[in-house]
Amino acid sequence: MRRQIPLIITFFIGTLLVVSVFIPPMESLKETFTLYFDIIAVFAFFLGGGNLLRVHLTKLSRRKQDWVYSIVTVVGFAVVLVIGLLKLGNPGGITASPTAEGSLFQTLFNSILVPLGSTMYALLAFFVASASYRAFRAKNREATILLIAAFVILLGRTPFGMMLTSWIPESFSILQIPSLAVWIMNSPNLAGQRAIMIGIGLGVVSMSIRIILGIERTYLGEEK
Amino acid sequence: MDAIGLWIGAFLTLGIISFLYKDNPWYKLSEAIFVGVSAGYWFITLFWDSIYSKFYIGITDKGDYYLIVGAILGFLMLLRLVPKIGWISRWPLSFIVGAISGFYLINYFSSNVMRQVANTVMPLFSTEYGQSLFTAPIGTIVANIIVAGGTFTGLVYFFFSKEHKGAFGVTARIGIWVIMITFGATFGYTVMSRMSLLIGRMDFIFGDWLGLIK
Amino acid sequence: MNQIIKRRVITRLSSIVIIKILFLSLPVVAEQLIPTIDDSVEAFIPAPPAEVIATDAVYDQGGAVHLEWQLSPDDDGSAGVYNYQICRQQEGTDEYIPIDSVLAGVSSYIDETVEPGRSYQYIVAVNGDCGSAPSEASNVVTPNIEWLNFGLSNLFVIGLIICGSVIYFIAHAKRGKKLFIRRIAGLEAVDEAIGRATEMGRPILFVPGILDMDDVQTIAALTILGRVSRVVADYDTKISVPVSRSLVMTAARETLKASYMAAGRPDAYSDDMASYITDEQFGYVAAVDGKMVREKPATCFLLGAFFAESLILAETGNSIGAIQIAGTARPAQLPFFVAACDFTLIGEELFAASAYLSGEPKQMGSLKGQDVGKGIAMIIILLGVIATTFGNAWNISLLRRIADFLRTLFEVG
Repeated sequence: MRRQIPLIITFFIGTLLVVSVFIPPMESLKETFTLYFDIIAVFAFFLGGGNLLRVHLTKLSRRKQDWVYSIVTVVGFAVVLVIGLLKLGNPGGITASPTAEGSLFQTLFNSILVPLGSTMYALLAFFVASASYRAFRAKNREATILLIAAFVILLGRTPFGMMLTSWIPESFSILQIPSLAVWIMNSPNLAGQRAIMIGIGLGVVSMSIRIILGIERTYLGEEK
Repeated sequence: MDAIGLWIGAFLTLGIISFLYKDNPWYKLSEAIFVGVSAGYWFITLFWDSIYSKFYIGITDKGDYYLIVGAILGFLMLLRLVPKIGWISRWPLSFIVGAISGFYLINYFSSNVMRQVANTVMPLFSTEYGQSLFTAPIGTIVANIIVAGGTFTGLVYFFFSKEHKGAFGVTARIGIWVIMITFGATFGYTVMSRMSLLIGRMDFIFGDWLGLIK
Repeated sequence: MNQIIKRRVITRLSSIVIIKILFLSLPVVAEQLIPTIDDSVEAFIPAPPAEVIATDAVYDQGGAVHLEWQLSPDDDGSAGVYNYQICRQQEGTDEYIPIDSVLAGVSSYIDETVEPGRSYQYIVAVNGDCGSAPSEASNVVTPNIEWLNFGLSNLFVIGLIICGSVIYFIAHAKRGKKLFIRRIAGLEAVDEAIGRATEMGRPILFVPGILDMDDVQTIAALTILGRVSRVVADYDTKISVPVSRSLVMTAARETLKASYMAAGRPDAYSDDMASYITDEQFGYVAAVDGKMVREKPATCFLLGAFFAESLILAETGNSIGAIQIAGTARPAQLPFFVAACDFTLIGEELFAASAYLSGEPKQMGSLKGQDVGKGIAMIIILLGVIATTFGNAWNISLLRRIADFLRTLFEVG
C-alpha cells in the first residue's frame, strides 16, 4: 500500500493535467496547482531551513573545521527571520509590505545581498576568459567549430570586426564579419536551436510518460 | 546609514573577488553571511507572498477554500519529521511530480515540437508565395537550406536507436557541427555581456566607494 | 546741468506718452482676445460606430465574449476622437453599464467578465471633443461552456501518435523484444567517473540544478541521481548533494535512501548527504564553490536547470581537476558546459539519461518511442520543405496545398 499510493497519485494527477489542456472548464487547474505548489514549498522550507540550522549548529557544537563561520550563518539567518517576520524597522509597520522602501529588511537586501550577488555574478567575466582559453586549445574538430563561431560573433559585436574586414568589396559584404555574425545567428544558430528544442520536447514527453506510468520512480524512493 | 551600507557592500564585494586568488577567511566570511542572510530573506519573501498574500488573504478575503488542500499537502510534507509516518510525505511529492509531468508533457510538446516543426516547413528559394524560382537572393537561398537542413541533421544526431554509421553517421556528424556552431554563437554573444558585469562591479569599487572615478 | 534736466524731462514725457498709447489701445487688444461665436458652426460630435457584433469566444469555459464594430467614420486618426466606451446590459437588468474603454482606432474588444449561460447585449459609444455618440445595440449573446477544445484537435492527434509510440515501444520491450540503443558518451563515462572517485578516496558532488521540483529538468536530474547513487552505494564512495530548494532536498533524500536500500546498505545512508543551502542563486553558488575547493571532489555532476552560474560551477570544478559530467536543457547554458566539462548531456540526452542508465528494457523502449517522434518531425520537415519550395517555384497548387496542410497540422493555436 505504501508503495502503491504515491504511484496512483502521480498517475491520476499527471493524467488529469494532460487531459485538462483539452477541456476548457479545467483550464484553471494549472493555476490552482501552481498555488498549491507555492504553499507546499513554504512548508518544505521548514525542513530546508531546519536542516540549515541543524548542520551549522552541529558544526558549532562539535567545533568542526571552520565552525566560526557557522556562527555568522546562523546569526545572519536568525536576524533576517526576526526582522522579516516582525517587520522590524519597517516604516509602514506590520501591515506594510515586507520589502517596502526604507524598511530594514530591504536595506539588508540592498547593502548585503545585492553587492554579494552581483559580485558573484561578475566573477563570470574571469571564468568566461578562462573557459575561452580552454576552448582556444581546441582538442577536436567540434571544439574548433565552436570556437570559430564564437570568435566571429564576438568580433561582430565590436567595432573591431568592422575595421578588420571593411576592405571586402560590397558585393561580397556577407564575408564582412558583422554581416557574417548576423548570418550565423539567423541561419545555423537557428537550425541548431530548433533541433535541440525538438529533441528536448520529445525527451520531456518520453520522461513524463515514464513517470506517469510509474516506470520511472527513483525520485519516490521506490527502487524495485 | 548609506555610508555604512556602502562600506559593507565594498567589504563583501572584495571578499567574493578574493576567491579568485584562493579560498581564504575573507571569502569564507562573505560566503557565510551570504548563505545565512539570503536563506532568511527568501523564506521571509516566500512566507509573506505565498502563505500570507495567497493563502491567508485568499481564504479570509476571497473565500478560496480550495487553497486548504495546498496547506494539507504542505503539512503532510512535514510528517517526514515523524519517523514512523514519514512515508506519508511521499504523497505531496508524488502530487508535485505528477502535476509537473502532466503539465510539461503537453506544454513542451506543443511549444518545442509542434511549433518548431511548423516553423521549419518553409520554402527554400523564396520566403513568400508567388515569387518565381530563384528570384530570392542567393544568400537567402543558402540561409534557408541551412536552416531546414541543419534542423534535419541535428535531429539525426539525437537519434538513439540507430548506430551513427555510414550515411546516417555522416549526417549525424553534420548535425553535431551545426549544434556546435549554435553553441559557439551563444558563447560569443555572451562574452561581452559578462565583461560588462565586471565593469559594473569595478565601477562600484572605484567610483561609488573610493570615489576615484566619477 | 541744464542739459541733464532737459534730458530727464524728455524721458519722463516720452514714458507718459507710451503709457497713454498703451491704455488707449487696450480695448482693441481685449476685443481681439475674446473669441466671436459663429452660430453656423456646430459642436463636433463624431458619428457613432456601427454594426456591433458580439460572439461567444470559442473553446473556452464560457467566460469571454468577442466584440467587433465598425469604427466611427470620423475616427480617421485626427485628434477629434478620443476613445470608445463599451457598455453592457445583462439579461434581467434594464440598464447599460460601462465596463471598459479602448483607444480610438481600435475596433474590437474581449469581455472576460461574463458568466456562462447568461445573455448580454452591448453598445459601443464613441467619445469625441464635445460629446459622445452611442452605436445601436449589438445582437444578444449567451456565452456557453464548451467541454472540448476542438481548436487543439491537431495537438491531440499528433500527441496521441507520439505518446502512443512511446507506450507501444515500452510494451514491446516489456515482452522481451531486443531494442538497440546507441552509446551515449557522457553516460558511458558515469561508471568510470564514480570508479575514479572511489580509487582516489575523494567524494562525488552532485548538483541537481538551481530550480525547484516544479521544473522538469530537476526531476530529470533526480532520476539520474537515483542511478548514480545506486552505483555509489555499491562502491561505498562518499556523495554530497547540495541543493538550493527545500523540496529538492526532500526528494533527493528519498532518492538516495532508496538507492542505498536497493544496494543492501541502508546503514550507509545518511540525511547529511543531501542538504539545503539557500534559495538564492548566487548564495548557493558561493557555497558550492567553497565546498568544491575545500572538499575537492573527484567527480562533479552538474545536471538540471542552470542559469549564469553554469560556468562558475564548471570552471571551479575544472580548477580542482574533477571529472565533470554536465547536462541541461537550457540551450543558453549548454555552450559553457561544453567548453568547461568533460562530458555534456545536450538537452534530450538529459531526459534520456535515467532510462539509459537503468538498462531496463521498458525504459529503453521509451527512448525508441521518442525516436519515432523525431522520425515524424524529420519526415514532415522534409516533405513540407520540398512541397512548399517546388509548389512556389512552379506554382503547383497541389504541392502548395500539401505544404499548407502540413504547416497547419503542426501549428498550435
